[in-house]
Amino acid sequence: MKPLNLIALLLFLGGATWALTRSEGVVREVQRTYYSAMRPFLKTGSTLETKARAFMDETRHSKELEVEVDAMKGEVGRLRVIESRFRELEKENSDFRHALNFKKATNFDVVAAQVIRRQPTTWWQTVEIDAGEKQGIGTQLAVLSNEGLVGKIDRPDRERSTVILLTDEKCQVSARVEGTQEVGIISGQRGNQGRDPQLRLKFLSKDASLRPGQRVFTTGRGGIFQANILLGTIEAIEKGALDSEAIVRPSVNFADLGTVFVVLTSAAP
Amino acid sequence: MIRYTLITVLLLLTAFVVQQFIPAFTGLYDSRILLVQLVFLCAAVTVPTPTMLLLAFIGGFLWDAQCALGPQGGDPEIYNQPVEALRFGYSIVLFGAVGYLMHGVQPLFQQGKWQFSAILSGIAIFLYLTAEYLLISFIRGGFFIVRATLEQMLFSSILTMLFSPIIFWILFSIAKMFDHSIYPDADRKRRRS
Repeated sequence: MKPLNLIALLLFLGGATWALTRSEGVVREVQRTYYSAMRPFLKTGSTLETKARAFMDETRHSKELEVEVDAMKGEVGRLRVIESRFRELEKENSDFRHALNFKKATNFDVVAAQVIRRQPTTWWQTVEIDAGEKQGIGTQLAVLSNEGLVGKIDRPDRERSTVILLTDEKCQVSARVEGTQEVGIISGQRGNQGRDPQLRLKFLSKDASLRPGQRVFTTGRGGIFQANILLGTIEAIEKGALDSEAIVRPSVNFADLGTVFVVLTSAAP
Repeated sequence: MIRYTLITVLLLLTAFVVQQFIPAFTGLYDSRILLVQLVFLCAAVTVPTPTMLLLAFIGGFLWDAQCALGPQGGDPEIYNQPVEALRFGYSIVLFGAVGYLMHGVQPLFQQGKWQFSAILSGIAIFLYLTAEYLLISFIRGGFFIVRATLEQMLFSSILTMLFSPIIFWILFSIAKMFDHSIYPDADRKRRRS
């Protein structure tokens, strides 16, 4: 090997080692600088993507849209009824808490945001939204849609944030199965590419009596996600020697995410 | 030579910007055109080893800045089996490794046979993605590969490779503009005849 090439290789390996040994804080600062430099391009890029998507949506058959509108009207009516009932319960709950002198905050402030970029990286299931630190968003905040839990904030920037989706293996959520005492950790699975992602609910008891169709909700434990957020529905149960696992279909249609809501207050640990 | 080197660095930085405008093909298992990797691989075969390593460092460093995920967060008592993500800086090593692979066909490239490098760029992208997947499997445990993942890697490699002639054409044009030869053997032969 030529001496110059050897020196270059040693310098390269030194640089790689330096990068590999950076702390989390330094990495976040590097990312912040990178995304600040990229901001003007990102804005244009996401505008183009949104426009292209809107154009594709417009070209869908009008009959299909009519059917969708009719279905949505029905759904809105149903949700209005539920919402009014929910408001009553919320008020009732608030009164009870007040009466019991609960210190726990009851506010559930949310910021609405639009998904402006989908799947920006190869391996991680993430999306980017058009709200960031300017709107009060920080790391590890829950992100919801009207269908259930979407994920959590991974990296907030000034005017945009990256959301790690529930379908990613790294997004773990403490979950419980409706109507049972079963609790476990739910997360996405590796190889969740495509339009039909599934979640895996792990660490259930060995003899868990579960059945397909049961709904799975957040427990509220773990300090990130609030309790009772819908995660999905059980599709299959896999019994193991030591524990059981359930395959869960997410309640959110991740392929069609539009508006999401970031919950500004973290859950109590 | 220096001007050409600077331009390849600028070209790589431009690729990072353009990459922001390239969406994933959801119909093809989220396959994507990996323009940054492609520009690096095509440029790597046209430059000497030290420049290739410089490009590998810049490319890998910025790629990780773009893609690295944050820590898991949450109460460690509840989430006591955190899922690890790849460490910041791993791409630098991968870029360097595939850069050396491209250097393997540099003698052929210098004879004017760029087609081999174009095909190798597709193979290198596939190996790059495979290495990434293996690293993820290694740190998270439990190796398994589903068909969707395999097809994602395959389609990404093929789609990216299809653009390599355009990148080579850009590199040829830049070299010509700065009177720099990236085909020294072929140029010598041409002059002799």
